[in-house]
Amino acid sequence: MNACPERIVHYMHEYLDGEISREHELELKFHLQSCVDCQKHMHELSDVVAFIKGAAHVKAPTGFKKSVMERLPKEKSHAGVSR
Amino acid sequence: MDALVNKRIKQVLKGDKDAFAEIVDLYKHKLFQVCFRMLGNRHEAEDIAQEAFVRAFINIHTFDQKRKFSTWLYRIATNLCIDRIRKKKPDYYLDAEVAGTEGLNMYSQIATAEELPEEELMKLELQDRIQYEIRRLPDKYRSAIVLKYMEELSLQEISEILELPLGTVKTRIHRGREALRKQLSKQSNFL
Repeated sequence: MNACPERIVHYMHEYLDGEISREHELELKFHLQSCVDCQKHMHELSDVVAFIKGAAHVKAPTGFKKSVMERLPKEKSHAGVSR
Repeated sequence: MDALVNKRIKQVLKGDKDAFAEIVDLYKHKLFQVCFRMLGNRHEAEDIAQEAFVRAFINIHTFDQKRKFSTWLYRIATNLCIDRIRKKKPDYYLDAEVAGTEGLNMYSQIATAEELPEEELMKLELQDRIQYEIRRLPDKYRSAIVLKYMEELSLQEISEILELPLGTVKTRIHRGREALRKQLSKQSNFL
C-alpha cells in the first residue's frame, strides 16, 4: 500500500487495547500527523470499535432457568463424578 | 459477588439444587449473550447456554474456588460453542426459528459464509448489521472480539477463558478488528 513501517499499524492496535507505551504513542502520533493513509486506517479502526460496542445487550429468554433446572441430572450433584 | 457465588457453590456441593438455580440467575444473561453472539441464532444459543450450565453443575466439584467462577463458566460455554460451530453444516440455519426473536429478523440467521449484496445491507437495522458482521468473522477472531467488546472482559480474562497465551489473544483481537475494518470499508458510505 505504502512505505509506512509495519510497526505503525501494530501501535494502532496497542493504542486501541490501551496498552501503548509513551514512546510508541508519540511515534504513532507523529506519524499520523504526516500520513493521510494511516490517519484513515486509524479512524476506520476506531469506527470499528465504536460500531461493535453499539451492540445491544441480549437477554436470556424467559423460562431459561426453569429449562436448565429441568435438564439437570436427577441424582445428587456429585453423582457421576468418577465415571 | 464472588463470595456469594462461592457460598452457593458450597451449598450445591452439599446437594442443594436450589442454590444452583440462583447461580443460573446470576449468569444466565451473560452466558446466553456470549452463545448468541458466537452462534448467531437464538434457538441454538439457548440450547448451548443451557448445556453449559448443566455441565457446570455436573462438574462443579472440579471448580477451584480460588478462581473466578465466571471465567470457568465462560470457558465451558465458549468450548461448547466452538464444538457446535465445527460440527455444523453451512445450511444449518435455513429452517431456524425466527418467531419471537425480539426484533432480529431473518438476516440475523443467515449462515456466516453468505454475503449480502450492498442494497440488502443498506436495509439492515443497526443491531442486525452488527450481528451480521460478527457472524462473518472467522471463528477464532469472533470469540476474542465477542468476549472483549460484548462481554467487556479484560485481555487477561479472555486468555484464561480461551486457554490461550495473552499474546495470541491480542493477535486475534488485532486481526479481528482488521477483518471488521475490511468488511465494513468495502461499503462506500459505511466507515
